[in-house]
Amino acid sequence: MIDVQWYLLLSAGLFCIGLFGILTRRNALIFLMSVELMLNAANINLIAFSQHFGHVDGQVFALFGMALAAAEVAIGLGIILVLYRNFGDIDVTAPTTMRW
Amino acid sequence: MRRPRLAEDLSPAAGIAAVALFGVLAAVFLSAQFPEGAGFSADAAITEGIGYALFDLVGQSDLATEGFLFAFLTIAIALDAALDGAILLARRDDEEETLPDGGERR
Amino acid sequence: MTGAFELVPAIAVLPLAAFVIALFAGKYMPKKGALAGIAATAGSLILSLWVALTVATGDGGYNNPDMYTFVEGLGGTVTLELGVLIDPLSALMLVIVSLISLLVHVFSLGYMNDEGETGLPRYYAGLGLFTFSMLAFVFASNLLMAFMFFELVGLCSYLLIGFWFREEGPPSAAKKAFLVTRFGDYFFLVGVVAIFAMFPAAAGRFAGDGSFPALAQAAIESGQTFYGFDAQTAILMAGLLVLGGVMGKSAQFPLHTWLPDAMEGPTPVSALIHAATMVAAGVFLVARMYGFYALSPTALGVIAFVGGFTALFAATMGVVKQELKQVLAYSTISQYGYMMLALGGGGYVAAVFHLTTHAVFKALLFLGAGSVIIAMHHNENMWDMGGLKDRMPVTYWTFLAGSLALAGIFPFAGFWSKDEVLFEVLIHGLGDSPLLLGGYAMGLLAVFFTGFYTFRMVFLTFHGEPRSDVAEDPEPVRWNVKGPLAVLGVLSVVLGAINMVPIKKLTGAKIDYLHQWLDKSPDAFLTSVHHYAGDHGLLHDYAGYTKGYLAGETGTVLIGAAVSLGLALAGVLLAYRLYNVPQPVEHTDRLGRAKTILMHNYYQDEYQVWLATGLTLPVAKAADTFDQGIVDGVVNGISSVSRFSGRGLRRIQTGVVSNYAALLTIGLVLLIAAFGLMGGWF
Repeated sequence: MIDVQWYLLLSAGLFCIGLFGILTRRNALIFLMSVELMLNAANINLIAFSQHFGHVDGQVFALFGMALAAAEVAIGLGIILVLYRNFGDIDVTAPTTMRW
Repeated sequence: MRRPRLAEDLSPAAGIAAVALFGVLAAVFLSAQFPEGAGFSADAAITEGIGYALFDLVGQSDLATEGFLFAFLTIAIALDAALDGAILLARRDDEEETLPDGGERR
Repeated sequence: MTGAFELVPAIAVLPLAAFVIALFAGKYMPKKGALAGIAATAGSLILSLWVALTVATGDGGYNNPDMYTFVEGLGGTVTLELGVLIDPLSALMLVIVSLISLLVHVFSLGYMNDEGETGLPRYYAGLGLFTFSMLAFVFASNLLMAFMFFELVGLCSYLLIGFWFREEGPPSAAKKAFLVTRFGDYFFLVGVVAIFAMFPAAAGRFAGDGSFPALAQAAIESGQTFYGFDAQTAILMAGLLVLGGVMGKSAQFPLHTWLPDAMEGPTPVSALIHAATMVAAGVFLVARMYGFYALSPTALGVIAFVGGFTALFAATMGVVKQELKQVLAYSTISQYGYMMLALGGGGYVAAVFHLTTHAVFKALLFLGAGSVIIAMHHNENMWDMGGLKDRMPVTYWTFLAGSLALAGIFPFAGFWSKDEVLFEVLIHGLGDSPLLLGGYAMGLLAVFFTGFYTFRMVFLTFHGEPRSDVAEDPEPVRWNVKGPLAVLGVLSVVLGAINMVPIKKLTGAKIDYLHQWLDKSPDAFLTSVHHYAGDHGLLHDYAGYTKGYLAGETGTVLIGAAVSLGLALAGVLLAYRLYNVPQPVEHTDRLGRAKTILMHNYYQDEYQVWLATGLTLPVAKAADTFDQGIVDGVVNGISSVSRFSGRGLRRIQTGVVSNYAALLTIGLVLLIAAFGLMGGWF
């Protein structure tokens, strides 16, 4: 079997790519896609350990994670719609009123 | 449609933090000692086992697991609520729109 | 039947009750509170006489120092208490204060009520409060209680001087009186604290073995040091500090400037407060703590010199004044200088004698002046008077009696007392303290000026031709004015009989009644005359005062009496020649430049104002700048550091989500790295 470290490395890499997207991109839809990447990186982690320890709980958690990711995307798209309505643009750096 | 181009409005300075995080995580994972893990047996029925676990029918599967019925039902409710929320958020067409920062209207 | 001594607090409480009645119910009463005041002071006088009788026939005194302890000192720290001390000195003073107060209350019926003055409840309330404070000051048993009532009489003086506060002069004069005496009282307070700190076990008591004079004497004997100073120096410093308050209250140089301005108050107030009682409080305090002052020859020397200088200084200024009450004010300053000279010169009995006679004849002169002022419709300028002796006979004869006493003419009261003052200073000066002779010379020269200005005042006011219409037809005065004048007039003639020391020394008859009276104090109190001035008294043992004679004791007595009487008569004769003419002129113009200086009171008022505005104000402004700039600046600087850094730090909240995510990530990286390094993961 493949050592669990490589799966963890893959998961870390995917997570950091998603994080890179959050930190640098300005388009709200790309932002949401990056968040999805991070959630799936966590799923990979869960499944990797499920396979390493022979416990199927990890895979069940991953299923639940996918379901929640879907729910979160639904709400996120709703928020982007409202953002567009209020600011006229889906640039995440536009709404800056909650500050000093 | 134009062919896909690399994004021009990147501000890559913040991305260094993500790279640094990857470096630290890689260092931790690669230097960690994991105990020898027992994988699944070759002919284990995994998907079937997941199904039984979801409905609290743990006895019917050979795998070591526990019941997740309550979590299953909760996730179902959460998905339903999310769907309703998304519809609610999307449906504010005929109201007076206030622009909180006095920005330009669409 | 309770003894007289248990009722001593009532002597002070009766006028306090009159104060309350006049203040709250005065406007409903027919005489606006006067009758309550008269009843109260009459009661106080009767009680004081009974107390004096008990002192005379009993064992001489009553000391109850801790009637009310309001701070109990534990383990050697200071105890603060209120108590009563009755010895012959305080019994005598109680009688004087209550008698003068009663006469002033009666006189006020004529001066204030009959003249239709308004605001009388406030006036009688002020008089009642003053009488209460002065009487309580007299029987105070410890220094702190004396200080409390000392301040309270100062407050009453302020309230009464500023009685006609709607005019310009009185409130300003009241403020000046209060501030100048307060300046002296600041040193007094420091002195009280010093005495309490040096002798905590004494609790500031005046009499007895545990009193601070007794402990001070013991400290000198045992060589105890205080904060690095030997006992006698420390006693000198504390004594001089207390002397600050005495000089302020008794209007000695340089804190005398308030008394002439205090004449803005009503004349009965001037008679009571600024002639007979309040200004006596300072001299009384020195006499009360004489056992303390007698331990330091330097302190006595300072007192004598200040007194002698003030006597001469004020007498020269009285020579040129044009207003009746101003002459009397400078005369008061000068006569209290004599009392201080006596105390410093070792004449304890002489000082108390002069205090008594002066209270009587100065109150008489002020009340007489009040009578003249009523007659002249409140015009005080002597150059508008004249010829009043035929039109106001009672006032004239009593005023003449008072003036003869003031000038020190035989056989009136002032002759005996002033002569004894000068005699005591002379013999102690001829003994081992030659510097006292300087004080004697100044006192002697002041006798000439006193005679002169007193009779200049009498002749200008009463003799000659009337110089204005009002003087030709003065307003008549009633019995409530003439009664007190008559009483005091008789007293100023006969009061000298209480201590005719020259006759005693010539004939050996035991007629020095005041000396015997003051000596009656119980030995345990340590306040008797032989304790202070006997052959082995404090003055001899600690201050080094001995007696020297020019030509034997009787010879010195006669020479001294003759010289002072001669100078007084010379002054009177000069005034007679210059002013007892039908149309007198201002002969003082011949003094030229000197007159200008004297009229401006040696520019002391301007000097004191300059001290305040030219010296103290810039220092205060510099201190204020320091306070606002540096002290406040440091505090504001600290707050501005936090505000400035806060303003900088809040820019982190940009409102852009990506920035927050970046901060989170950096934080997470640092945390994992830190945990990893500490936990040895790598």
